[in-house]
Amino acid sequence: MKQFFMPLRTILLGILSLAGTMLSSHVAGKGTGVTLYTPYTKISVPPGQSIDYTIDIINNTSLVKNVSVSLNNLPKGWSYDLKSGGWAIGELSVLPGEKKNVNLHIDVPYKVDKGIYHFTVAAPGIALLPLTVIVSEQGTYRTEFTTKQPNMEGNANAAFTFSAELKNRTGEKQLYALRAQTPPGWNIAFKVSGRQVTSVQAEPNHTESVTIEVDPPDAIEAGTYKIPVAAVTSSTSANLDLEVVVTGSYSLEMTTPSGLLSTAITVGDTRRIALQLRNNGSSPLKNIKLSHAAPTNWDVVFEPAQVEVIEPGKTAEVYATIQADDKAIAGDYVTNLEAKTPEVSSKVSLRVSVQTSMVYGWLGVLIMGGAVGTVYSLFRKYGRR
Amino acid sequence: MKAMHDVIAIADPIMMKAKTIITTVRNTTTPLRAEKRIHPFWVIVHKEIADHVRSWRFNILVVLIALTCFGSLYTSLTALTRGSKPDAVTDAFLFLKLFTLTDGTLPSFTVFISFLGPLLGISLGFDAINSEQNRGTLSRLVAQPIHRDYVINAKFTAALIVISVMLFTLSLLVTGIGLIRIGIPPTPEEFWRILCFVLISICYVAFWLNLSILFSIRFRQPATAALCGIAVWLFFTIFYQLLVNMIAKNMEPSIMATSEQVIRYQQFIFNLLRIVPSQLFNEATTTLLMPSVRSLSPLTMEQVYGTIPSPLPLGQSLLVVWPQLTGLAAATVLCFALSYASFMRREIRSR
Repeated sequence: MKQFFMPLRTILLGILSLAGTMLSSHVAGKGTGVTLYTPYTKISVPPGQSIDYTIDIINNTSLVKNVSVSLNNLPKGWSYDLKSGGWAIGELSVLPGEKKNVNLHIDVPYKVDKGIYHFTVAAPGIALLPLTVIVSEQGTYRTEFTTKQPNMEGNANAAFTFSAELKNRTGEKQLYALRAQTPPGWNIAFKVSGRQVTSVQAEPNHTESVTIEVDPPDAIEAGTYKIPVAAVTSSTSANLDLEVVVTGSYSLEMTTPSGLLSTAITVGDTRRIALQLRNNGSSPLKNIKLSHAAPTNWDVVFEPAQVEVIEPGKTAEVYATIQADDKAIAGDYVTNLEAKTPEVSSKVSLRVSVQTSMVYGWLGVLIMGGAVGTVYSLFRKYGRR
Repeated sequence: MKAMHDVIAIADPIMMKAKTIITTVRNTTTPLRAEKRIHPFWVIVHKEIADHVRSWRFNILVVLIALTCFGSLYTSLTALTRGSKPDAVTDAFLFLKLFTLTDGTLPSFTVFISFLGPLLGISLGFDAINSEQNRGTLSRLVAQPIHRDYVINAKFTAALIVISVMLFTLSLLVTGIGLIRIGIPPTPEEFWRILCFVLISICYVAFWLNLSILFSIRFRQPATAALCGIAVWLFFTIFYQLLVNMIAKNMEPSIMATSEQVIRYQQFIFNLLRIVPSQLFNEATTTLLMPSVRSLSPLTMEQVYGTIPSPLPLGQSLLVVWPQLTGLAAATVLCFALSYASFMRREIRSR
């Protein structure tokens, strides 16, 4: 009886195992009882992307299986690594009826043609897992230099700050020289993490933030200016066109027609001084207000008190009447006069020499004259006795 | 006659002076000897100057004043070479520091002049009239065909010339020695300031001279006149300050007083002090020799705000001290007028 049953058990097991192999055969191929499994067998990625597969190795047999894993037919230039439990592995042992994870990391290079690529994860002699990667677009080998806002507007005195991003989409580490082509008088500063730089280093597939500060000359005319900026290495380069719209510069100069900034006043008296306001900028200046900072109890009156507008390159005449304090003591004083618009201001410091009034001097002379006159009258009265 | 003349000359220099004046006056009034005609007034002046220069009294004073002045020059030079703090405003007038700077051991030149000047003036004038009267030479002098006021005018003029020469010489000596030691010549502005200082000094000494001449007319004894002069000098130098201090203490405004009251009080005390001629002299010389001094009154913050610490031009400095100069000159002229009137109206025949 026992003799009869032995082949039957073998046949039954064989059928069962055949059925199991039949069930998983569309994934694993050969029916050896070990299956390689991953859910994403066909993936579409752009160039430069990395793919992480998780591959399950399933042991359906009743024996411990040693499975060596390798990759076949990987396209040229692609790289991979296989890891499990933190280790780079070549062979794996799986207990009966259990499964193990293998992480497969594949780097798709930037420089790759559009198309369908096939490769196989193989456990030689045990199982095969064919995988398909569709590269969705034509791959490149280049650098990208971009900014979200390439255009800025402001006056000539303002500084323009552009935030740009430099993407290294080549396979190697790159050291970019940063250059800008500007007309003379312009100042360009490249800054990376707050420091002014002339070159920047970027790891492959990394993005560096570059701040570009553009300072136009103060006396520039209004208009639109294009500034080509480039990040260059020996093998790759990227350009970025910045656009600066200058609305004009504001510059105001206050002086006297002769350039003389000192004057003299007798105590309590007034002095009228001609002042010249010159617009040295490229935009008209409007609503120029005049103010002063004089010693206590002094008064400064401007005529006119406010200048409506000065066209670029033109001058306006203003008269300031300075009145010294009645009780001012002799000596030199500072009087500051300031012309101010919302945009700019200009200041002159006048040296005012205060002179004592001659009235008391003459009074003294009068007293002395009286004294001498007394002596003279004494001479006349007694002198010829 | 000649021998007798010599005897008189040896016996009594003042008698001899009267003789000389009398003979010279006679000569000048004689048309025959017209080739050396000098105005009688200047004859008296020359004689007076000669008397002053030859007198022991004056020579001792000159030596005293010269010594103190050179002492003060020495202290100012040591203070200068030791190196004061560099200051742009005062460095521009380095030369004037010779007269004002001191290293603390001796007072400066100006202080010496203000202190010893009165002594010089009093000593030159206290026996101008009364000693001549006591010796009987005055009546003989007035008996000559000259105007009576020539006597007092000549006495004043002679003393003034002596004082002027002395002060000018001293100041120029100080300037010259300073020039050698410092090696920096004075600027024209500095020169004019020094000149003004000398003129004010002369005016100041002339005041005391006139005062002592007045005393010499009022008092018959020269000693009394000299004592009176010195008493006035001491009163003004020492006791008047004490008096003003007492008044100031009593009038001191409370802590709660407004700034205006304090200023008014300070101004009043300053004005009290300005009755003294030496105060006027000090203020005038300080302002003239320190061009950075702008005002002699207390200053409020309001007046100081906005100022540039620059020196005043000479004209402005003079205007600042013009009241002081006026006061000093007026006091001098007043003293002279009083002594003149007093002399002209007095009886001089009796001994």
